[in-house]
Amino acid sequence: MALVHKLLNGSYILRKGLKPSVAACPFLSTRSADYCSSSLQKPVATPGKASTQRTAAGGLQEDQREVALDIPSPEEKPEVSFDKAIKDEIKEHFRRLKDEIVNHWIGPEGRPLQEIILEQARVVWQFRGKEDLDKWIVTSDKTIGGKSEVFLKMGKNNQSALLYGTLSSAAPQDGENSQSGYCAMISRIPRGAFERKKSYDWSQFNTLYLRVRGDGRPWMVNIREDTDIIQKTNQMYSYFMFTRGGPYWQEVKIPFSKFFFSNQGRIRDAQFQLLLDKISSIGFTLADKVDGPFFLEIDFIGVFADPAHTEEFAYENSPVLNPRLFK
Amino acid sequence: MLARGLSRGWRGICGAALTGAPFSQVPSQVPRGLHCSVATHSSDSSLVPRPPEPLRQPAKPLSPHEELFRPAPDGARDKASFVRAVQNFGQHNVHKRGHVDFIYLALRKMRDYGVEKDLAVYNLLLDVFPKEVFRPRNVFQKIFVHYPRQQECGLAVLEQMENHGVMPNKETEFLLVQIFGRKSYPMLKFVRMKLWFSRFKNINPFPVPRDLPKDPVDLAVLGLRHIEPDLSARVTVYQTASSKDSTGTADPTQQHIVGIQSPDQQAALARHNPARPIFVEGPFSLWLRDRCVYYHILRADLVPPEEREVEEIPEEWNLYYPIQLDLKYGRGGWDDYEFDIDEGSSGELLASSSGLEEPSPPPPQEQEEEEDHTQRQQQGQS
Repeated sequence: MALVHKLLNGSYILRKGLKPSVAACPFLSTRSADYCSSSLQKPVATPGKASTQRTAAGGLQEDQREVALDIPSPEEKPEVSFDKAIKDEIKEHFRRLKDEIVNHWIGPEGRPLQEIILEQARVVWQFRGKEDLDKWIVTSDKTIGGKSEVFLKMGKNNQSALLYGTLSSAAPQDGENSQSGYCAMISRIPRGAFERKKSYDWSQFNTLYLRVRGDGRPWMVNIREDTDIIQKTNQMYSYFMFTRGGPYWQEVKIPFSKFFFSNQGRIRDAQFQLLLDKISSIGFTLADKVDGPFFLEIDFIGVFADPAHTEEFAYENSPVLNPRLFK
Repeated sequence: MLARGLSRGWRGICGAALTGAPFSQVPSQVPRGLHCSVATHSSDSSLVPRPPEPLRQPAKPLSPHEELFRPAPDGARDKASFVRAVQNFGQHNVHKRGHVDFIYLALRKMRDYGVEKDLAVYNLLLDVFPKEVFRPRNVFQKIFVHYPRQQECGLAVLEQMENHGVMPNKETEFLLVQIFGRKSYPMLKFVRMKLWFSRFKNINPFPVPRDLPKDPVDLAVLGLRHIEPDLSARVTVYQTASSKDSTGTADPTQQHIVGIQSPDQQAALARHNPARPIFVEGPFSLWLRDRCVYYHILRADLVPPEEREVEEIPEEWNLYYPIQLDLKYGRGGWDDYEFDIDEGSSGELLASSSGLEEPSPPPPQEQEEEEDHTQRQQQGQS
């Protein structure tokens, strides 16, 4: 029961992370591959594995992740008892529920209120161990039949995460895709007790801060909002992250006012600013149409409130494209 | 009926815009195919229907106007021959039959001729469309997508322009208005391109020039200057002399080593204790647009704090102005913009800068970056 519940709620709609081309036609529907439907077959056939069921929601890309640097670490044999696994799962969920109720008395998100109010810089994701890598999903155009490969592993001395692979823009010969060549790293949606979706609240911050070391390729940062009440599965806010390359760590600061809105992979004419109170996930996409190997080393991802940045939204709506907004 | 017509038009536009594959219209100048087989069937008197002829497929099926793009006898594939091929199409038939297929074919061939970033060529290609025919004239034509295949073709031309980062100009606008009218989808896409391209033109904080140097040494110098933030860094190039006894198959590029080092790094290297090891790490890849360049770095571990020598600045140096200033500008004492992240222990790994306080931390690791270019390492991408 827990398995199926997890699978049903652990679905991600994969979007073709092409460069934001302008909306050629408002009736376009990009072919989106549903992760859940493809991964449903695999774990149901092997119900006994306790270790795989936690990673079942990640789908096909789990096996693309490397285990260790060079020496494969011997993993202990997973317990193959289905009942014990279910019991552990149920206990885990009740423990999370208890934590949530207790945290509610301490303050928002389990931290005292004055700490949350006075906070001006927060580290949201850091990469210091394997469990930090579990919070991310890595995808590439293999799902539509392309040939790009992408892997995620811990970097040097467990101080960073290294996302590396090869991009290949050879289009899959399936008659419906003419372009290909992308890979992405998306964060998992934070889950509470009983796999309820939670969201991040960054309303007191206004800038995204990334400490990365790239190889000169331009990446795209995508932020998705929470889909709790309204279905917004194909909408996201994006902006570009240009890496410098080189051995120095690069600090990338992107104000949230610079993110533009896109739906189904195309920039929309009607733009609105990104609202920060219910953020679901963040993702990095590489689709710069250049074949070859790439890497991106990420130290941590944080948000902070830049007092010098007073812009609310960077893009005006144009009356030529949106006459109805200007009536 | 309205909805059906609309949906048919939409699906067509969706399909073609997605695939980009040529949506061939009924080929008017190729008389074979549908009509021919019907004729033979009616004249055939046998009761058993003939099995379909095995398709004699050549290695690659030729598109209708492929012969226009056959390489010239001298084999030059450049802008002039491409322009000639496009102009030849118009000369053969005044009514420009099959122009949609031809334009799709030309879009595919652009890369071979090296003109995919040339705006004049795109304008010439748009010129192939017959003018004033596809403009909607009454309200019904405006509601339905008037000439959907042609509009998809126009969209494909603009989409390829967009994929290669070519900004359309007034001539393109005039052509589009002449061909499709002001309220058409290609015109809408043109407006969007103008808007978003101009917004995103200068957002790269580390711009790379559009025309990369062909010489690998120059490319290496550009790459090294790109990654080194210190502007006073010096680039040194070591190059082997071109050998006098050159064989015919020798590579024109000579072996070379290009290095960059800033004065701070030089001073740090001078201070370095020879008893401690220095590491050469690499090769790391650096992408400049679509060319990849590999570099190595020379680094040493940070000296642990107890062994670090503190430089004594004599008092009289500070007479006119302080040599060292330790100011925290502007912010109040209650502001705290540091990230609560645990840094790696210095001494074992590359030490990194300690937080947001320092405005521009000098690289604490001592480095001299050098680049080793042998033919097998450099991968040039077209």
